[in-house]
Amino acid sequence: MIEIEHLSKRYGSKLAVDDVSFTVRPGIVTGFLGPNGAGKSTTMRMIVGLDRPTTGRAHIDGKPYAEHAAPLHRVGALLEAKAVHTGRTAYNHLLALAATHSIPKTRVHEVIEMTGLGAVAGKRVGGFSLGMGQRLGIAAALLGDPQTLILDEPVNGLDPEGVRWVREFTRYLAGQGRTVFLSSHLMSEMAQTADHVVVLGRGRILADAPIGDIIAGATRQLVHVRTPQAQTLIERIAGPDVTVTTTDAGLLEVSGIGAPQIGELAAQAGITLHELTPVGASLEEAYLELTQDDVEYRSEVAR
Amino acid sequence: MTTATLAPSPLDGIRLNFRGVIRSEWIKLRSLRSTVWCYGLVIVLTVGIGLLLALTVNLPAGATPSAANQYQLQVEAATLGVNFTQLIVAVLGVLVISGEYGTGMIRSTFVAVPGRLGAVFAKVIVLAVTTFVVGAVSIALAAAVAWPILSGKGITASPLESSVLLPMLGGAGYLTLIAVLAFGFGSILRNSAGGIATILGLVLVVPTVFRILFGLTQATWTTNVADFLPSSAGGKMFEYVDGTTATQAADQAAKAGLVYLDSWQGALVLAAWVVVTLAAGLVLTKRRDT
Repeated sequence: MIEIEHLSKRYGSKLAVDDVSFTVRPGIVTGFLGPNGAGKSTTMRMIVGLDRPTTGRAHIDGKPYAEHAAPLHRVGALLEAKAVHTGRTAYNHLLALAATHSIPKTRVHEVIEMTGLGAVAGKRVGGFSLGMGQRLGIAAALLGDPQTLILDEPVNGLDPEGVRWVREFTRYLAGQGRTVFLSSHLMSEMAQTADHVVVLGRGRILADAPIGDIIAGATRQLVHVRTPQAQTLIERIAGPDVTVTTTDAGLLEVSGIGAPQIGELAAQAGITLHELTPVGASLEEAYLELTQDDVEYRSEVAR
Repeated sequence: MTTATLAPSPLDGIRLNFRGVIRSEWIKLRSLRSTVWCYGLVIVLTVGIGLLLALTVNLPAGATPSAANQYQLQVEAATLGVNFTQLIVAVLGVLVISGEYGTGMIRSTFVAVPGRLGAVFAKVIVLAVTTFVVGAVSIALAAAVAWPILSGKGITASPLESSVLLPMLGGAGYLTLIAVLAFGFGSILRNSAGGIATILGLVLVVPTVFRILFGLTQATWTTNVADFLPSSAGGKMFEYVDGTTATQAADQAAKAGLVYLDSWQGALVLAAWVVVTLAAGLVLTKRRDT
């Protein structure tokens, strides 16, 4: 269980995390979603005490991370691919971390097997691909058999097989009753992994809800309509919640009223329809809509 | 809300413990190639230079050097290499900590040891003990190689004298303190290039600057300040001194208005440098974001 209360972090004049409060519960996968630069990594670093909060606090199972007797047994953290000395082998890296808590060598071999690093464990980390580095980071996070896992962009750099493995593995860990908190800037990734999502934009919480609610809440029901009698139709379907956008190609984008009602109203009025298409906003659109005002770095071309 | 309870884990009894952290730092030190290279070079250089000195000693035929001169030669053969190997352990001392900051490893270290200071102390202990042992072994080897050659040249005084053995031990102690001083700068600057430049500058360049200043001004303060630099003060630790010449040197220095540090005072001055630098490094390490 991770409890975050009024957490803020200021770097110079920039408020990277702005009065953030939320709880990450055990037994489910909680996603931490937001564009790059939203403050996800900073928040995660503050949870494990690498960054000092400007205000507020982050507690793990009731107290600050550093106050636990066996921090690695309490929390496993993947904070950054390759938080590893490049000159050391993967095995020695894990062995050194395990030694701090007197974790037996057998456990080091276990996590190497679990993460599929067996073939490269004796090689120096400097030559690792992004994906292998990521697997090593996950192996390090698992070393202490932790109750809580904090994974910052765990699928970054993984091949499709690795992505699926992380997805299934995190769900399995949550199923065991562990607290799993993972970040991503990709909504599609979250949709397939997380039960609950906390959305962050420019350091502030934009949403904190079950994944289903996020999708439903942010999705506007949109209907594409083509008709030669556009003006008549617009008058017939007008209502307080209904908005109609006309595009150049004679296409009407209608929201606030469903396709069946539009069809019935058109039939009553004898209006000919050439097209009547309900368009559900995709997950990706829902997310973009949620964060559109809070993107730190936006590419001008993409707009 | 019902909280799912985890099945018991075989790791439920584990604790973060200082002995484990020391073991961890030892694994880290020995598992890097740079460590093995640096310490290997310390041994090779110390023995090589001792051998070279012993081979090139040239006494006038039939002359019998005084006991003090004989001891002095024996000490020099064993410890002359320290003047060079100090640069190697200085670089290593910086790299032990700056390498972690440079690669991001420090985050893994501080997540495992969130109190931070325990990890830093463990690093210092492992670095100091290893450097002392390697330094002492290299100096003993140099002595073992040089003495038979020297005795063949008529330098036959028994070297098992405290005035010979203490400076040899002092040489190992000096290397240890320089390595930890370098570590202190590395932990303040968190950067390999900056840390190495600082410690080498302090050991090599700054004393020369003072010597030039003295040459230009003949001001005694330049010499007095220079005597308190790490390499000058610490250098007293592996110098041969016999009672009478030491007293004479102290008297002369006093008359000229100069400071005279004996080997223990020199060691204390260097230790003070180490304590202050390391303390600054520890405070910054505890406070800074990583």
